Amino acid sequence: MAGDLSEKLQRDLSVGTAWLVVLAAVARAEEPIHGYEIARQLADEAPEGITFKQGTLYPMLRSMEADGLLRSTLVPSTEGPARKCFVLTAEGKRVLAAWTDTWRRTGRWVNRILGGIDGLR
Amino acid sequence: MDSVDPIRAYLLRLEAAMAGHDAALVHDAVLDADAHLRAAVRAGASPERAVEEYGTPDEVARAYVEAESGPRGWRDVPAPARASASGTDAGSTPGPTEAAAGAPAPAPAARGLRGIPVIGIWFDIRAWGAIAYFGAVGFALSLAYFVWVISLGSLALGLLPLVIGPPLLVLLLGSARAICLFEGKVVEFFLRVRMPRRVQPVAGTGNGEIGFWARIGCWLRDIRSWMSLGYLLGNFPVALVAFVVIVALASVGVALVLVPIGSLLHMPVIADFDGDMRISMLGQELTPDSEGRVFIPIIPALVVGLVGFAILTGTLWIARGLGVVYGYAVQAIQVARPQPLRTMPAAATSPNDPPVIAPR
Repeated sequence: MAGDLSEKLQRDLSVGTAWLVVLAAVARAEEPIHGYEIARQLADEAPEGITFKQGTLYPMLRSMEADGLLRSTLVPSTEGPARKCFVLTAEGKRVLAAWTDTWRRTGRWVNRILGGIDGLR
Repeated sequence: MDSVDPIRAYLLRLEAAMAGHDAALVHDAVLDADAHLRAAVRAGASPERAVEEYGTPDEVARAYVEAESGPRGWRDVPAPARASASGTDAGSTPGPTEAAAGAPAPAPAARGLRGIPVIGIWFDIRAWGAIAYFGAVGFALSLAYFVWVISLGSLALGLLPLVIGPPLLVLLLGSARAICLFEGKVVEFFLRVRMPRRVQPVAGTGNGEIGFWARIGCWLRDIRSWMSLGYLLGNFPVALVAFVVIVALASVGVALVLVPIGSLLHMPVIADFDGDMRISMLGQELTPDSEGRVFIPIIPALVVGLVGFAILTGTLWIARGLGVVYGYAVQAIQVARPQPLRTMPAAATSPNDPPVIAPR
C-alpha cells in the first residue's frame, strides 16, 4: 500500500519535470541538438537513484514540437541519413523561463516546509 | 544468431508491447528505438546496456500511447488510468503493467452529439473532412498525380533501353514516394488517420557510401517505391468513382432538403406551368394557381425533406467509411517495411550495419 502510494507520488512529481529538463537541455545546447544527444546528456547527468528512460524522450520531443515549443531541422550526418535536430522556439523560451521560475519558487517553498520535519527522520 | 541480437529482440518486444495500437504510432516507436539503440552502439555502448538505458518495452510503449492520447491525439483514446507523461522514474519504481501499455483504451463514455446513433455522423468532423476530401481535394490531387505518373512513366519506359532510362525510372519512383508522403499529410488533415512522423530511407542507402548504380538498384528493389507508384495509378479511378458518388448523392440530398424550406417560404417549384400534364406528389395532385405557379404542400414537402436528410446522412456515412479505408491504405504504404522485423536476417540488424531507419 505504502509502496503503491510512493510510486504514485514519484510519478506525479516526475510529470512536468521531464519536460522541463528536456527543454533546458535543448536551451543550453549551442547548436541544434538531436534526440540521441539529449537522451545521453540527461542520462549522464541524472543523480543516483533517478533513471531517465531514454525511450520516453522521442514522443516527448514530438509533443513539444506539436505544441510549438521546439522547431526541428534536418542536419546532414556523416554516419548516415540526416538527423532531426531541435532548437527552442520563442514560445519554448518563454515557457522554459516561466517554468524555471515556477520550479525554483516551488522548490524553495517545499524545502522550507520539509525543513520543519527534519526531526522526524 | 538471430535470437542473440539484443536490439532486434528489443524491437520485437516493443512491437509486441504496442500491439493493438495505431500502426503509424508503432512504426514511429520501433524506428525511434532502432535509430537510438544503433546510435548508442556506434557511440561505444554495448547493445545490452543501450537496451537497458532505453527503458523497458512497456515503459516506452506507455510513453508513446500517452503522448498520443493527449489533447492532440488523433484517435479517441483516453489516457490510461495510471497516467504519467514523465520520462524520469525513481530508482526501483516498476514499469507500467502490460495492460496499461498494450491494450487499446475503451471509447470515452460521453462523446457528445457525435455519440447519437446514426445522425451523430452530422457532428463528426471526420465525416465532413471526408466529404471535402472526396468531393474536391482528393479528386483534384489524384488527377494531378495520375497525369504526372503517366507522363513521366511513359518517358522512362520508352527510354529504358538507353542509359538515361533507369535514372528516369528512379526519378519516377522517388517522386511517387514523395507524392505519397505529401498525400499522407493531406489524408491526415482531412481524414484524420495518423501518418508516421518518421520517414524510412530507401532500404540499403542508409550508410551514404554506395555508388550511383547501386543506389538506383536499392530504389528499384524497395517494395515501398512500387507500392507508392501503384497507389498513384490506382488512386485515380477510385477517387473518380468516389467523387461522382459523393457529389451526386450530396447534390440530390441537398436539393431534397431544400424542398420544405422552399415550401415554407412559399416558393413555387414551377414558376410558369401552362401544360396539360397532371402533376401528383405522394398521391396528392398539384394544381397550378391562376398565374401558373405550382407549389408543394407542406406535408409532402416535409416527407421529401426527410428523404433528403436521410440521403445526406447516408452520404456522410459513406464518406466516413471511404475515408477510413483510404486513410489506412495510405498509412499501410507509409508504415510498410522492406522486410518485417521478425523475418529480417540477423546481418541486417547487427549493430555495425546501417540502421533500418535514419538516426535523428
